[in-house]
Amino acid sequence: MRKQHLILALLLTTVGSHALMRKAHAENAPRHIEVTAKRFGFEPAEITLKKGEPVDLVLKSTDVSHGLRFRELNVDVKVGKGGTSEVHFTPNLTGTFVGHCSVFCGSGHGSMTLKLHVVD
Amino acid sequence: MQRIAYFALAVLLLPAIGCKANPPSGIETRIVSTAKHHFFVGNRKQKNPLAATPDSISDGREAFSHYCMACHGMDGQNTGVPFADRMSPPVPSLASHDVQEYTDGQLKWVIDYGIWPSGMPGAKGTLCDDEIWSIVLYLRHLPPAGSLGEPEMYSH
Repeated sequence: MRKQHLILALLLTTVGSHALMRKAHAENAPRHIEVTAKRFGFEPAEITLKKGEPVDLVLKSTDVSHGLRFRELNVDVKVGKGGTSEVHFTPNLTGTFVGHCSVFCGSGHGSMTLKLHVVD
Repeated sequence: MQRIAYFALAVLLLPAIGCKANPPSGIETRIVSTAKHHFFVGNRKQKNPLAATPDSISDGREAFSHYCMACHGMDGQNTGVPFADRMSPPVPSLASHDVQEYTDGQLKWVIDYGIWPSGMPGAKGTLCDDEIWSIVLYLRHLPPAGSLGEPEMYSH
């Protein structure tokens, strides 16, 4: 009987620790965000992130070459015509930052923006 | 009848006279320059939010190469631009005293809105504020004339 209890306790401990590890891993895993760029806008045009939360930002182009740059956050990713690029970063400042297309893409290039809110 | 014929001839010749592109005289240049610097070009007091670092000046050079190079050359001094001195008024060297005398805010204003009736178009919306401010930095740190060669589009 004591042996059965011991096995049960070991089993519960193993399952529990595994679940905790998975949770911790999920909490530390970078947040995955996809942004589509096309002349002359980003979709979504606004995103909110947490300060200190690692992010995988995937930038997809559906037409010509584009880029996305947040000067204050030291983030700059460029993507070729119809391609996909990825950038990893962890926002370390709070506030609202306006990202711009960093690859000249035509007459409306200057109005191509993405608003990024970083909150505590 | 003769007066009507003279009048008709004058009307016919008017477009030809009006469209002729003569280089402006010295006094015309001085008057227009004073008017631009003191009355027409706004935003005199706005400061450049970007610090002049090698990276930000390089950003300016990159943005300049997309929108400004065709008329101002890669060096901002019209190197290799075949029509620069044939326009009226001629395309100015951006290293000239007349251009460098503008404040940073005024240079931003000129790039945003252009200068009518010269050939200078506004870039607002085509370039973002960040790029335009970086171009202002580049204008303050232009390379020696001719050092960057001529725009590739004029080499073919």
